[in-house]
Amino acid sequence: MTTTAPSMTAEQARARRIRRDWVRRIVRHAILLAWTAIILFPIFWMVSTAFKDSGEWVAWPPHWLPHVPTLHNFAQIFAFRSIDPSLSRQAAEQAFSIWKSMGDAMLVCTTAALLALLLGTLLAYSISRFNVGGKYFRHTILTIRMIPPIIIAISILIYYAVLIPYASSALFGRRISLFDTYIGLILIYTVTTLPFVIWMMLTFIDEVPYTLEHAARLMGAGRVTVMAQVVFPLVASGMVVTFLFVFILNWAEFLLALTLTHPEVTTLTVLLNKFQSASEGRLYGPQAAIGTMITIPVVLLGILIQKHLVKGFSFGTIRR
Amino acid sequence: MDAINLSIRDGEFVIIVGPSGCGKTTTLNMISGLEAPDAGKIIIGDMVVNDLEPGERRLGMVFQDLALFPHMTVFENIAFGLRVKKFPKSEIVARVKSAAAAVHIETLLNKMPRQCSGGESQRVALARTIVTNPSVFLMDEPLSSLDAKLRVDMRTELKSLHKRLGATFVYVTHDQAEAMTMADRIVVMSRGRIEQVGTPLEIYNRPSSRFVAGFFGTPTMNFIEGAVEANGSARLFHADGLDHPLSAAVPAALAGCKVVLGVRSEHVLIGDGAELRGTAQLTEPLGDMTLVHFDDGRGHDLVAKVGPTADIQPGAALSFRFASDYCHLFDASNGTRIY
Repeated sequence: MTTTAPSMTAEQARARRIRRDWVRRIVRHAILLAWTAIILFPIFWMVSTAFKDSGEWVAWPPHWLPHVPTLHNFAQIFAFRSIDPSLSRQAAEQAFSIWKSMGDAMLVCTTAALLALLLGTLLAYSISRFNVGGKYFRHTILTIRMIPPIIIAISILIYYAVLIPYASSALFGRRISLFDTYIGLILIYTVTTLPFVIWMMLTFIDEVPYTLEHAARLMGAGRVTVMAQVVFPLVASGMVVTFLFVFILNWAEFLLALTLTHPEVTTLTVLLNKFQSASEGRLYGPQAAIGTMITIPVVLLGILIQKHLVKGFSFGTIRR
Repeated sequence: MDAINLSIRDGEFVIIVGPSGCGKTTTLNMISGLEAPDAGKIIIGDMVVNDLEPGERRLGMVFQDLALFPHMTVFENIAFGLRVKKFPKSEIVARVKSAAAAVHIETLLNKMPRQCSGGESQRVALARTIVTNPSVFLMDEPLSSLDAKLRVDMRTELKSLHKRLGATFVYVTHDQAEAMTMADRIVVMSRGRIEQVGTPLEIYNRPSSRFVAGFFGTPTMNFIEGAVEANGSARLFHADGLDHPLSAAVPAALAGCKVVLGVRSEHVLIGDGAELRGTAQLTEPLGDMTLVHFDDGRGHDLVAKVGPTADIQPGAALSFRFASDYCHLFDASNGTRIY
């Protein structure tokens, strides 16, 4: 008996440990599931509303799922069919086709992200290798990101709509305005995302060993060749990740686009805001449909990022 | 770095050796142009190269971490220097192949560096240097990442490569065994200064300072602080309770000087009716010989090399003396050699 007693205890202890592990696992998953539900609910509600008829948008008690699913909202935003006849004439006039906005958003977001990536990568290289700006410069750059966008928006609006047109007509006799132009929006997006690109690319470029560049320089490569053939190929994954992040930032940006453009250039987020009328209030159905359409590319990019994130952030494994 | 003055002959294998942080890598980087000296001139051939870019100095360098480009194949790694210099394609292929053949890596050309073993990567780095036909090879601890056996093999290979190419090799290491086995001349550095330049045997047999004497040789040289005393016409080394005759060649003028006596372990003779007494503390049999650590009862811990058959147990009493002709004397205040 005395010999079996300890083994029994050991077994009991093992059973208790397994039970405890299970309880922990269940609690952990319950918390995670609850959190996921909280995070996903707005998206669920948006997608659900996108398929609801106008009567169901604000029904009480709420319709969790559309009772009579319809594609009307999508038809409307893609301008396949005329506006819902039950809406007022005013509402119908304020509804816009999504096509132009999608093109505008694609053009502005992609160009701005590429520009910021190019400039930011070169800047990050100079900060990493030559300590440009001194020891604390990298942190200073990050603080620029903390300025509330509305502060920038108003001052830039004054530049774009007043100062630049006035100065150009006074100096060159020709009025040049950046307000409501592609270039204007691309410029401001590039500038506001630049700190982000620099910060991200710094972490990647810092990882590239100096000796690789030294070796290349000793073999006769100039600075540009070293960057193009040694450094940039090694941080390519990081560049993809950074591009996607910045693209999504631009894609979801609302305040600057709202302030600095109208009516020529309209990004999707601004368009979404325009689906409302004085008599009907917000047109939740078409807004939800646009919201769904805006989210799809972001989700797709997110999946792409995930793949590159792993590659990008396991970058420290360069063989030394 | 402080007042470095070193000239290296054409075709020579020079090894710069010293402890970490002594300035040996900085010296190499200044030769290569990766770092610029505050003052002074660097001359290669008969040209001052201070203002030349690293790539214009006709040097080849092997780095401690090898610095192979991880995103290029072995072939592309070796060809990089030639491509940068815009050699014709056919010549690049021919030269890469011959460089690969010189270090026996013809079969690796299509692999990526991460697929190569430590020794193979080493050879790739060498081939990449050979291919541009540099007049001077600079090597910064290239063998430090290899295991002990491979390191010994690569040592032999590097030496034969040097002979074959007839180029000048400047090699940096902190490993005294590498320095002793490969170098035509050794440069010993410490705290940014050159301590001694000489052939391996000169460095070993006539170290110019206590630092050099202690840095070379395994186990480390035995040091005892004391003073030189005159004993009639002979000279005597005296250190609290330990008196030992010195070689007749020690100048009489040294009498009264405070010195540090240095004796290598192979020159500490045990037994043979020696006068001094000690107690063995520890023995380390190495196969071909045995190291005996002992103290002389006056606070001096000493090491002696004895034959493999000597039977000395820890705790046993022993008698010892030093081979007087092989005793080194260093100035007690600044460590320079005085005899």
